Amino acid sequence: MSPMRVTMRRTIGRLINRYSTMFIFAGFLAAAGALFAFNLSASEGSEVSLTAIWAVSASAFLPVLVALLGMDVWSGERDSGRIELLLSAPVREREYTLGKFLGVWLLALAAIAAFLFITLAAVSVFAPPLVAGLSFASFVPAMLALALQGMLWSALAVAVSALCRNSIVSAIASITLFAALPRVLWMALMEWAPQGRSVFGELPLDAHIYDMSLGLVSTGAIVGYIVFSIAALAMSSKFVFLLRLHGKGAKGQRALAVLAAALAAVLAVMVVTLAMRLGITLDLPSVSLRETRFSARTRNILAEARGEITITAFVSRKDPRFRPLSHFLRALADEATASGGARVQLRYVDPKWDLGAAGRLVRAGVAEESLVFERARRREVLPLANGYGERLCASAIMKVAMPPQRRSVYWTGGHGEVSFAQYGNWGMSDIARDLARDGYRNLSIDLAGEAQVPSDCALIVVAGPKDEFSRVEIGRLDAYLKQGGRLLVLLGAPRAGGLETMLSGWGMRPAAASLPAVRTLSGSDALVSDFGEHSISAALVGSQIVLEKPVAFMPSAAAQSADGADCIKFAPLASIGEVCVAALSERGGEAGKDLAIRPTRIVAIGDESFVMNGQLGARANANRDFFLNAVAYLSGTAAVAEEGGGGNKLVSGMDRAERARFAGVVTGGLPAVLLAVLLAFVCARRRRR
Amino acid sequence: MLEARDISFSYPGRRVLGGVSFSVAPGETVCVAGGNGAGKTTLLRILATLAVPDAGRIVFDGQDALIHQLRYRRQLGYMQEAPALYEEMTVKEYLVYRARLKGEPEKRIRRRIFEACEECGLAGIVKSPIAPLSAGQKKCVALADAVLLRPRVLLLDDFLAGMDRESRRRAGAILAAAASFSCVVATGHEIADLAAFAKRFLVLKGGTIAADIRADGIDGAEVARRVDAVLAGGCR
Repeated sequence: MSPMRVTMRRTIGRLINRYSTMFIFAGFLAAAGALFAFNLSASEGSEVSLTAIWAVSASAFLPVLVALLGMDVWSGERDSGRIELLLSAPVREREYTLGKFLGVWLLALAAIAAFLFITLAAVSVFAPPLVAGLSFASFVPAMLALALQGMLWSALAVAVSALCRNSIVSAIASITLFAALPRVLWMALMEWAPQGRSVFGELPLDAHIYDMSLGLVSTGAIVGYIVFSIAALAMSSKFVFLLRLHGKGAKGQRALAVLAAALAAVLAVMVVTLAMRLGITLDLPSVSLRETRFSARTRNILAEARGEITITAFVSRKDPRFRPLSHFLRALADEATASGGARVQLRYVDPKWDLGAAGRLVRAGVAEESLVFERARRREVLPLANGYGERLCASAIMKVAMPPQRRSVYWTGGHGEVSFAQYGNWGMSDIARDLARDGYRNLSIDLAGEAQVPSDCALIVVAGPKDEFSRVEIGRLDAYLKQGGRLLVLLGAPRAGGLETMLSGWGMRPAAASLPAVRTLSGSDALVSDFGEHSISAALVGSQIVLEKPVAFMPSAAAQSADGADCIKFAPLASIGEVCVAALSERGGEAGKDLAIRPTRIVAIGDESFVMNGQLGARANANRDFFLNAVAYLSGTAAVAEEGGGGNKLVSGMDRAERARFAGVVTGGLPAVLLAVLLAFVCARRRRR
Repeated sequence: MLEARDISFSYPGRRVLGGVSFSVAPGETVCVAGGNGAGKTTLLRILATLAVPDAGRIVFDGQDALIHQLRYRRQLGYMQEAPALYEEMTVKEYLVYRARLKGEPEKRIRRRIFEACEECGLAGIVKSPIAPLSAGQKKCVALADAVLLRPRVLLLDDFLAGMDRESRRRAGAILAAAASFSCVVATGHEIADLAAFAKRFLVLKGGTIAADIRADGIDGAEVARRVDAVLAGGCR
């Protein structure tokens, strides 16, 4: 058995055989339990994680616990004179120091584990909803954070103890050094320069606990704790070595030992500074944050999303929004994994530090302080200034990741339509290729020959018909629309294809456009830059679409003529003055609460050549984006449930009396029971002797 | 062979030892005598590497003990003037702890403890806690600790103080046994008793060795008289 292990066992054995240690344990559990009960009560209804509350409550009293446990590991030996026995043994000072450090640290970890057990037991009895879906694994990052801080406090406590001859002095010095001093200094600093709070956030010690309890791990912080602990242990060894150097002749060696200790401190500060500068923020992959609850809509979207979505938080790590944002994103990624939907990869790009990645984002037109959702060639940017709530993020994910439920786009034929299979300026092969890239199959449909529209039909495109559709064809098209069908119509004339009657029945009436003074490129076309507030067109604000001889659309009598699920809504998507040249008609959009109802949607664009190859290739315009947005909207999942669930809020469900009982149990009841058990254990051990 | 060569030591403002030199052969027991504050304990602490001399060397088996401290301490048994023990432990637990700390293999620890307890008269109290033991018994526990691993250098500081006659007799026997494999350096004021097993007395006075008295064939009272004479008069 190595001397280090012998010393560790001796330290633990000595501590657990004392009644005072048991009172220290119980005191820690009671104090941390009281703070936990208070924090839980104060956080009711807010978006706070239970693990974070637990970790912060434990961390507040951890320094005191460690200071009291480690107060006499060396000072006791010095005070009693046993130090000479230890120093005359063939054991290096660092082995003693490590052994004593490990003893104190392990006992502190045991106290933390006991606190976890007590709080989880109490919460599971008084507030079961809070622990639903939680496991011990959820607390692993929090335990890791507390273990790291406990390691640093233990190392410092051993070092302080080596400097003191008296245990009480050692305890007071330790508590002052690592419980009071950092907080007092921080408060003084914030009082002196309040703006520092927005730059640095919270006291780093608290911030590390909070971050890590949410699974957000900074390599810089971890390296910092480890390096400072090693430095403290190195200094502690030197302090013990100094105990050999009594005489006048050892003056030189004393100076060297003090210099070595000082150098260890300086080196540690330099290494930690560098580590913090180069610090990488990681998410612990295996940690579940399932206590975060999302609405049915978000869960549905995440479950139906496919592929790999990359969410990039393009924001400074010092931004006050960084932590809650990263927590939220992690929870989102967890939920996606749990739902079996898309794999969500998270990236954090600091504009000031991750220069390569930041440069790429800026070149792609992404502004700082934004969230970027990417999948394959799709990208959705969410400026943080607009908020980053669940609904917005879910929509962004839906936009980039949601595959069409029905993957085939059927193009009608036989009426002089523009062909998707035709190359050259008058065909639509380019836009068909774009659709294929987004995962659609382009297929022709002969409505006269097909008795029914195939079930895999995402939408039907009627691209510039010249000849009229037969009554049978219109009847089949109408029947398809009544079943929640989706139609995209490109019309070169109000009566083209004879579809005007059917369209009127669905809320939109094509008409000849009487255009006011219009901006034009060639003299015959019209530039349109007035877009409606709709997901198809809103993102195009600032750009323009080009239409040749536009056709106007007006709401027909059918629009708004019915209530509930039968209500048809007309929405202009692009307008020239008061004249709407692209419109959306939707039936059943409001009734989306019922998953069984699939809304009928029609998008009509008043230009048959809107996405012809020649149009797309010759002019810089947003026609392609407009068309693809329309296809995405028409084929996407719109039948989702209403925003529901409790969201990401902490709801214990305890009333006032239950809160009081809960506080009593975690503060007094369980610690008292544990104390009684521990005292009985110590008593039995002593009596055995 | 243990050698002290020109050992000097001083606290700020006070010189304790000035050029102390002597050697102890294996199997030899040397007793350091002197008045209070003569530097006996300091000398033993230096020999135990618990203090660094201002000047001089400690050589053991031809190697500088202050440079190869760890190797030297593996051969060392040291007993303090006022033994500080872990009082909450039993005698056995304490000796097991000390044996493990000194790196003794687990399989030998049991036998070592049994032998040491037998020699030191601790067999009856081996499972007793240390706290309630008398001062003499605690000395015996400390002595058992010092001789536990049969060290080649045995340093005993005022080890007879507080022991009753029976314990002194046992201590003498232990020392006689230890002297067969160790260089023994002991200090104390009980010269007559020490003369029963120490064959050589070094009298410390004024920080130097004032006399090196061979006690072969001389009874304890005579040795004590000579030591007292040196301390009183100063003749070597």
